[in-house]
Amino acid sequence: MFVSLIALTVAMPAAAQTLAVTHAEAWTMEGDAPVKDATIVIENGRIVSVAAGGAAPADARVIDAHGKPVTPGLVNGATQIGLVEVAGSSDTVDTSSADDRNPGYDVSRALNGNSTLVSLARADGLTRALVYPSPSRRAPFNGEPALARLRDGVDILDVANVGVYTVIGGGAWERIGSRAAQWDSLRNALTEAKRKADGPPAAGGKKDRKRPSPPPRGGPGGRHGGEELLADVLRGEVPLAIQTHRESDIRQAAALAGDFGIRVIIVGGAEAWRVADQLAAAKVAVIVDPQVNLPFNFDQLGARQDNAALLAKAGVMVAVGQAGGVIHANYNAGMGLREGAGIAVANGLPYVEALKAVTVNPLTIWGCGGGRLTPGADADLVIWDGDPLEPSTNARSVIVEGRETAIRSRQDQLAERYREVR
Amino acid sequence: MRMRQLGLSVMVGALLFAAPADAQRSAPLPWQEDPYPSRYQAPVASDMLLRGATILDGAGGRIDGGDVLVRGGKVAAVGKQLANPGVPEVDATGRWITPGVIDVHSHDGTYVLPLTEIDSEASDVAEVATPNSADTWIETAVNAQDMAFDRALANGVTTLQILPGSTPIFAGHSVVVKPVRAPTVWGMKAAGGIQGFKMACGENPKSWGADDDNEGPTSRQGVIAYMRQQFADAQRYKRAVEQARAGAGAMPPRDFKLETLAGILAGDVRVNLHCYRAGDIAASLGVAKEFGFRIGAIHHATEAYKIPGLLREAGTCAAVWADWWGFKVEAQDAIRAEAPLLEQAGVCVMMHSDSPADGQRLNIAAAKAAAAGRRIGVDIPPERMIKWTTGNPAKLLGLDKQVGTIAPGLQADLVLWSGDPFSIYTHADLVLIGGAVAWDRAKPPAGPVSDFELGRGGARP
Repeated sequence: MFVSLIALTVAMPAAAQTLAVTHAEAWTMEGDAPVKDATIVIENGRIVSVAAGGAAPADARVIDAHGKPVTPGLVNGATQIGLVEVAGSSDTVDTSSADDRNPGYDVSRALNGNSTLVSLARADGLTRALVYPSPSRRAPFNGEPALARLRDGVDILDVANVGVYTVIGGGAWERIGSRAAQWDSLRNALTEAKRKADGPPAAGGKKDRKRPSPPPRGGPGGRHGGEELLADVLRGEVPLAIQTHRESDIRQAAALAGDFGIRVIIVGGAEAWRVADQLAAAKVAVIVDPQVNLPFNFDQLGARQDNAALLAKAGVMVAVGQAGGVIHANYNAGMGLREGAGIAVANGLPYVEALKAVTVNPLTIWGCGGGRLTPGADADLVIWDGDPLEPSTNARSVIVEGRETAIRSRQDQLAERYREVR
Repeated sequence: MRMRQLGLSVMVGALLFAAPADAQRSAPLPWQEDPYPSRYQAPVASDMLLRGATILDGAGGRIDGGDVLVRGGKVAAVGKQLANPGVPEVDATGRWITPGVIDVHSHDGTYVLPLTEIDSEASDVAEVATPNSADTWIETAVNAQDMAFDRALANGVTTLQILPGSTPIFAGHSVVVKPVRAPTVWGMKAAGGIQGFKMACGENPKSWGADDDNEGPTSRQGVIAYMRQQFADAQRYKRAVEQARAGAGAMPPRDFKLETLAGILAGDVRVNLHCYRAGDIAASLGVAKEFGFRIGAIHHATEAYKIPGLLREAGTCAAVWADWWGFKVEAQDAIRAEAPLLEQAGVCVMMHSDSPADGQRLNIAAAKAAAAGRRIGVDIPPERMIKWTTGNPAKLLGLDKQVGTIAPGLQADLVLWSGDPFSIYTHADLVLIGGAVAWDRAKPPAGPVSDFELGRGGARP
């Protein structure tokens, strides 16, 4: 018996299981409408087929969606889950580097999949999240964000070093002062990195274009990302994310993208709607919190809830992140995202665009791809008991990399323990 | 000192016995007086008949395809196919009507966005020079130009209780306002309720006490002990005032802190207690029992679901969030299903915000809480959910004879929603305060509403 179990385990690793979701209202993110009564077949962690009325393979485990919506797993465009446990207790928080000597801070080395924030977010349908660093002592860069994949267990790293992160704004860096100095600092750092990347002029006046091959991303030993990853930013391989809100700063960001020929992402962007056309022209994507209709500081006086709608209309790629501000952006990284997307719809963003803003778009913006229900795509998907953008809806099943994950959160367990207490 | 007080109280006791009861009631006691009376002027009401809506009355009732007749600022009738006495009709088919939303825990006007350096150095949210700020009245700090009032109104809020913050153990008097435009808070102040007061237990006051150079307890047990001593002092003060009023002995010099606490002991001032853990809630309810007063509501109350019986017995409500949790250690055991669990256990429960952002979406908070209840098999229907943001908060504020439910004779504080009030896509189409149109989504104000927004451009609800 024992032996045969082992044999079975070897023959059928969990990832190799064939899974079929039937009778789904499948929001594939390919068109503007869902595929009704779809059968989604999953093998080896990938989607094999999505077909209306399709048959489930004979050996598949079948999950009947009963006509309810099935979406790609939701992706939070900017959060800090995995780095935070109890925000009020700094000894449980790993969001920033206090190291004056090291320009890099690779968040992937701190990610904790066992965090209760992560399991709750997964229960709310979140399967991936961009995890970003807070301001470090070493301006202008905070460090390198990573993409997390909310599979079960402690290891939730998906892709490390997916960009370089900085913050610009009033009061953002007390040591540097004015935002003018902040922009100077950022431009100087990019210029310096460009000079290093180009190398010293070789004898005879020719530039030596040979560079040492870059070390593997996120591998042992780290990258001291700040400096090394900047070369990737300059080559357009990873984006420079700028967390900023004021119109004047967003114009600076768009100009920076053009001047250096780099990919820039705006995170926050409360006044981005004022600059929508320039952002579209400069192909600068924006990660917004659609809940914001009050300015947290003087940089956000133009905050309005149709920000996402106005940006999308102008052709700017929009994702939802930091949704719900300081209270919800981490502690309800899944629910806050859904609520934010729903509010964006209530304020003029077409429904399918809102779904894209929490699936395909954040992955595209962070350069990782995916977020669709299409043959060959990663099998990250959620089966809902209603409209996923309604906070009254529950996720029934959350599948990450082809496996059903645990979605009974600690909160559910506490609630069940005290359900009959009178 | 002790001897003198003892002697005085024995002598006064004899005199009090002889004093006629009328004399004691003839003039309000010091803590019953309001030094900052309301200057609210009810706007001109519009009569109307809202026809064919789904009505949730805030008291547990639901009428599908129902009508509400508003006349003279009040609800004149609720029912099906009401006769129109000749007022304009509003076609509310497919829409929903509820009482106006009441937020019992707001800091609007004191936690005014945008924040600046002065707010981190010296905030108006609470007076923190001492753990006992019982003599403060938050209304003397409220900035009526906070645009959060406009955002709340546009999202169906018609009444807010502004509380002081939770750093002091005794944080001060609250004020209840309507989100209407006025140059000062007194033009917004709702009259006729019971005076509210803020207290706090647990991490906030003890952390502040433990900070360098701060006065105050540094532990949970210290916080509770501090409460008991203050109430014991207030008991003596209250007795002295009552005896002096009865003609026995001199009136003690006014002490606004003791006066306020005496008002709590007398039941004239209602306590709103910031408290998270089950043990903290139980200890605080114990203090109230010892000194013979009732705590109106435990706010935040993230572990109230563990002790519903204690709240029920004390007649104390729970003002809760749907999904604030974990941001500090005492909030680790918060659960999203708390409101449905408390409702099921027969506890008076309500949603509250503590935030100008979340204060715009209390019904959505209720929807999230209800969904979490359904996950574990506790299903609360909409007509009961709506009590969490309307009828129950009105009771806490002592305003339930005026607002919070839709019934003939009550003030017409109503919201006509574009759809199900628990849907994220629903807008407040029409908000009535005292029968006057305070917000009409079809005719939004052409320009900025608050003085702050004037000339800055951009910000919209």
